[in-house]
Amino acid sequence: MDELAAELKTRLIQTLKLQGITPDQIQDDAPLFGTGLGLDSIDALELVVMLEKYYGIAIKDIEEGRSAMGSIHTLAEFIRTKQSLK
Amino acid sequence: MTTRFPVVTGLGIIAAPGCGVDEVWNALRAGQSGLGPLTLFPSPRYGRSPVAEVRRDLIALGAPARGSRSDRLAWLAAREAVGEARLTGFNPDRAGVVLGCSVGGSFDSERFLTSLIKRGKMWARPTRFHECASATDLIADSFGLFGPCTTLATACSSSALAIATAAELIVADEAEVMLAGGSDSLSRITWGGFHSLMLVDAAGCRPFDATRAGMSLGEGAAILVLEEEEAARRRGATVLARLNGWGACCDAHHATAPHPDGAGAVAAMRIALRRAGLSPEAIDYVNAHGTGTRDNDIAEAKALKTTFGSRVPRFSFTKRFFGHALGASGAIEALVCVEALRRQELPTNLGFATLDRAIGIEPLTAVQRAPLRHVMSNSFGFGGNNAVLIFSQPDTVAHPPQQRAVAVAVTGIGVVKSSGLSPVQILPPLPPGTVKAFACGEFAGKDELTPVQRRRASRLAQMVLVAAKRSQPGGASGRLAVAIGTGFGDLGDAALFIENMIAKDEDEPMPTRFINSVHNAPAAQIAMDVGARALNSAPTARDISFEAALWQGVQQLAISEADTALVGAADELSKYVLAIGHRWSRWKNATPPGEGATVIRLVRNPDALAPLAHVTAVRLGRYRLPFDAEQEAEWIGEAVDIAQVDVVLSGAGGWPPLDRLYADAVAALSARAGRALEHRMYKHLCGDHYSASGFGFSQAVELVRANRGGVLLYTLSPSGAKAVCCVRA
Repeated sequence: MDELAAELKTRLIQTLKLQGITPDQIQDDAPLFGTGLGLDSIDALELVVMLEKYYGIAIKDIEEGRSAMGSIHTLAEFIRTKQSLK
Repeated sequence: MTTRFPVVTGLGIIAAPGCGVDEVWNALRAGQSGLGPLTLFPSPRYGRSPVAEVRRDLIALGAPARGSRSDRLAWLAAREAVGEARLTGFNPDRAGVVLGCSVGGSFDSERFLTSLIKRGKMWARPTRFHECASATDLIADSFGLFGPCTTLATACSSSALAIATAAELIVADEAEVMLAGGSDSLSRITWGGFHSLMLVDAAGCRPFDATRAGMSLGEGAAILVLEEEEAARRRGATVLARLNGWGACCDAHHATAPHPDGAGAVAAMRIALRRAGLSPEAIDYVNAHGTGTRDNDIAEAKALKTTFGSRVPRFSFTKRFFGHALGASGAIEALVCVEALRRQELPTNLGFATLDRAIGIEPLTAVQRAPLRHVMSNSFGFGGNNAVLIFSQPDTVAHPPQQRAVAVAVTGIGVVKSSGLSPVQILPPLPPGTVKAFACGEFAGKDELTPVQRRRASRLAQMVLVAAKRSQPGGASGRLAVAIGTGFGDLGDAALFIENMIAKDEDEPMPTRFINSVHNAPAAQIAMDVGARALNSAPTARDISFEAALWQGVQQLAISEADTALVGAADELSKYVLAIGHRWSRWKNATPPGEGATVIRLVRNPDALAPLAHVTAVRLGRYRLPFDAEQEAEWIGEAVDIAQVDVVLSGAGGWPPLDRLYADAVAALSARAGRALEHRMYKHLCGDHYSASGFGFSQAVELVRANRGGVLLYTLSPSGAKAVCCVRA
């Protein structure tokens, strides 16, 4: 079990005020945007703020953010890569 | 009915490139960008982005010391426009103001918040001019205008919509002279807000360029004098251009992103062309919205190609000169279009170098002289709000919309209101306290909202959505227009956003709260909810915000631009309004503060199945002091058949000095009617707030349904604004 992924799911639900959704309902590989959770560009901006606040990762270009936010799995990988570079 | 044509007879502007039309045009010719470093306020996180500030001493230029920075900018533009039009010898009761604005006095209110948060000092004076309506009031007072006045806050399309609305007031014979335009100063909320949306280009905006990376912010004001053509000729005014076409509509697609194919933009351009009686080939130049964001420019390019086919006219955008001045932007660009016509000269761009293959069309890259007859100005904003204006040479033929006298039926009413007085805590950073208020608390009906509306829409927008559902819209019947007035807008989210920015030195921004903070967010939420793609408006006119929305809705039905109109108003309690009002003894001897939302559904009479009541008249204006009750009764009598009125339902019980004026007016109306009219009130049921007259309207309908006869809803604002509307069986 990926601890970072589990933590991300909880933070995602909190940050985006996803009501009636529990962490275990979010699949690691399910798309976050469009289909799947049905998030949109405004949610992506909130996630950018979340990444900076909790993981110290500043995203300057929303396009970079969009590719990182494909799924919980890609988001966790993105955070690990960024943090290993520090 | 005679046809009335709106023409332009005066222009005024102040923005980063210059103060006055000539100075601005010289800067455009010389290719001088207004962009430079930010100096108005500290910005630890975003301070390096270039910005188009007005670096002039506004007071030294003659602006009044009283007022916010936005008010002063507006006043300076108005002075130039009025001077150029040599505006004398007009009837002040037939002259009004419509401005577009997005943040009003926020820049000044932010100084109050900064001293409160950083130093714990409660210094509330700068907040006196917070409302967007402040600039409109100042101009009406300064230039002695007593006709219809309203302010539109539909984000970046505000002032284009203001110009269109002023034209409609002229076409509807409500006014002969209108000052129309917009004003917005830079403010921390829009500065931090657009940065939090990651839409600001650190290198300055480069609209339509392949390497573009966002917008640049700006500030300023531009005002046009619009006049009814015959009235202008009678007083010997010089006609600079005709306003031949205008179109406004809504994407009903997303809170911030434009429709990817620019569908709403195409619709707005087509409405404007149809009104002007022109085919697309007749347009010689387009001043594009061209913000420089990736999404806007692609959507706008697609829209231009859809509207004009393979022959897209020459076009440019002036955002790198002026920055994106938000609420003022549409008026600035309208002024550029009129000046281009007058000089027969096309402005160039700045910032464009490389063609984007995804866009596929190239803007002008040099100043050009060219014969111009018809030019178009595009403005698009948050909430998918689109407004398009077409200006033409004075000698062209115009086809203004046909104004029809229509009976408007009310077919549904939705109200969210408090069930009574309760103590409301004033929360930090304000000094603690308790004020009794008509609060809605956790109002019922939220369970009918969609999950996205529940998690993301602001409380104010949720109140409006619930009221709209209660008005039983049952989906759109035909083209649906929406106009939701508000005095303060979403002060809750706006204040939280700014508080957070100041307290955390711009770290951890709140993008969703910024998006919610625009005044037109509730109207845009309704549009998305029910697919309303006709006019989408958010008038903000203090105590007559509801009536201003009602006028717009009725007008869309009268000119057949909509088949159904959802109109209403909403305001919510804010700890700031409570704390400052309490300190200034606002509710001493008066009805306590309140909050609430009202939405009503209007259709043209023959289309109504089971009408609840009819709206037979709506009129907006300003009253004079000393108050002349006889004159007031006459003004009401011009709009309403007093023989058909039995009850006057007034906004009395709010600001105490107004109670006497209401009583005098009712007495004068009774004398005119030759019988005693019943004077009733409603604020003791809903509390005092800017949108209270919306609730008053619902009470008027109740009285009509209880066979109490015709009801006159009459509202005066401490600001000088007034409105009257008549509700009958």
